[in-house]
Amino acid sequence: MTRGRLQFSVFSGGEVIFDLDTCAQCRSKACVAACNAPNLACVLMLKDDVPALRMSAQEAARGGCIECLACELACEADGIGGITFSLPMPELDAYLRDMDARGEVPGFKRV
Amino acid sequence: MAKLLEYEAKRLLQAAGIATPSGKPAASVREALAIAEEIGYPVALKAQVPAGGRGKAGGIAFAGDARELAERAGALFGHTIQRHAVRSLLVERRLAIEAEHYLAVLSNPAARAPTVIFARKGGIDVEDTARDDAVSCDVDLTVGFRLHHALDLIRRAGISGRVLVALAQVAVRLFEVYRRNDCMLAEINPLAMTAQGPVAADARFDLDDDALFRHPDFTSEEAGDVGARTRTPLESIAARIDANDHRGSAHFIQIDPTGALAASEGRVSIGFDGVGTGVSLTTLDELVPLGFLPKNFCDTSGNPTASKLYRITRVILAQPDIEGYVFISCLSSQQLDNTARGIVKAFKEVFPGGQPNIPCVLCFRGAWDETALALFDEHGIADSPWVRLMGRDTTEREVASAFRDLHARWRSREIAA
Repeated sequence: MTRGRLQFSVFSGGEVIFDLDTCAQCRSKACVAACNAPNLACVLMLKDDVPALRMSAQEAARGGCIECLACELACEADGIGGITFSLPMPELDAYLRDMDARGEVPGFKRV
Repeated sequence: MAKLLEYEAKRLLQAAGIATPSGKPAASVREALAIAEEIGYPVALKAQVPAGGRGKAGGIAFAGDARELAERAGALFGHTIQRHAVRSLLVERRLAIEAEHYLAVLSNPAARAPTVIFARKGGIDVEDTARDDAVSCDVDLTVGFRLHHALDLIRRAGISGRVLVALAQVAVRLFEVYRRNDCMLAEINPLAMTAQGPVAADARFDLDDDALFRHPDFTSEEAGDVGARTRTPLESIAARIDANDHRGSAHFIQIDPTGALAASEGRVSIGFDGVGTGVSLTTLDELVPLGFLPKNFCDTSGNPTASKLYRITRVILAQPDIEGYVFISCLSSQQLDNTARGIVKAFKEVFPGGQPNIPCVLCFRGAWDETALALFDEHGIADSPWVRLMGRDTTEREVASAFRDLHARWRSREIAA
């Protein structure tokens, strides 16, 4: 049986996706611990041994999720990579493509 | 301060019932010709740039027929006025002007109230010509600016009769436009007297940046806090970050977008971000004497989200030719761990292997600063030889010195390579 995904949007424009099949195999559940730190939003909880929202996806999207990125970074450091926190910047991507076409190199690509 | 282009300002005036010359903006000579055919010759061609003194700078021309229009509009489109490339022209029916007045409403910090100013002699060089004959009155906002206030004001300028009433009505309407649109300045100069009555021949509107969110209809790229020039592409991208999220700020302005200033002064361009404007300026004061010139100013304060930091850091690091990045917080009460997470995510995504390849000094001082610093260790960023982390006992001078030393090491290795 697949567990599917936990997926919700965030206020600033972006999306958080938990691959719950991966999360089920994770021993640390570091994302839930990170989200429930005293100074953070406490959006996540454990339900059936995988992350779940304490609120509706609509509430999370209206600002219930404070976009602290703690879940994703905790997952990268101590979990097994089940979270994708995407924060798209299409205009910047287009700008970087234009720079590339002009032969300009952004600061972060400097070798 | 956000500035509207003339044609945008005139739309607001028209909506308030103030007469303006018939006309439309054109983005090409062909469009200008079509508009002139519609409104009839002679026409005025006015460069749409957010700068004053366009007449003196050659940004206004007149055409009596299609041949003249094609020639003059073509020349204007290739023109640059006060560093603004002319991308659109306002094509207007040329007015037969009998007299030119000056009328403005401005936010007056000295009076802590709006001030309405009228001068009998307006037009070019009004700052000089109106020095002696301008009249003004401060407005009590609990009362407003009523017709009798306007009549009294303009009568003091020596105007009487029907013209007095017509001008007073324009003044009351201009005050309404000023209030409704959260202006800092609403100016009509010249307010031209024609056979048909007063007409706003030119207009300048400066808007309160902090109220722009209440006016999503102001879509002009000119609207923004970059002073008299137009936004750079990266400034436009950064402005959208704040526009999409009210939580905390990410004010990003390019000081030296092309790097020309740094090159002319023999300085090194770097990317910069500070939590708090005061600490940012103090740190710039320390960096500049050491031979660096931040390509940008950025203030990420007011407890912004980590996602906002992630996005603005990507913008800062996208600047070409930067030889480093400095982040510094004031002794801040904002959650610096959130700030750090945004920077960590950006570093991990943009730098090859997640480790900076340019000198980066990051100084966290304030709430959750130790948690913030630990995140760079946890994610392997602190292992980079080009990263220096500093904590709450650090001064701005020490941050600048640390960056200088790190940059010198990085530079010598680059030269050796």
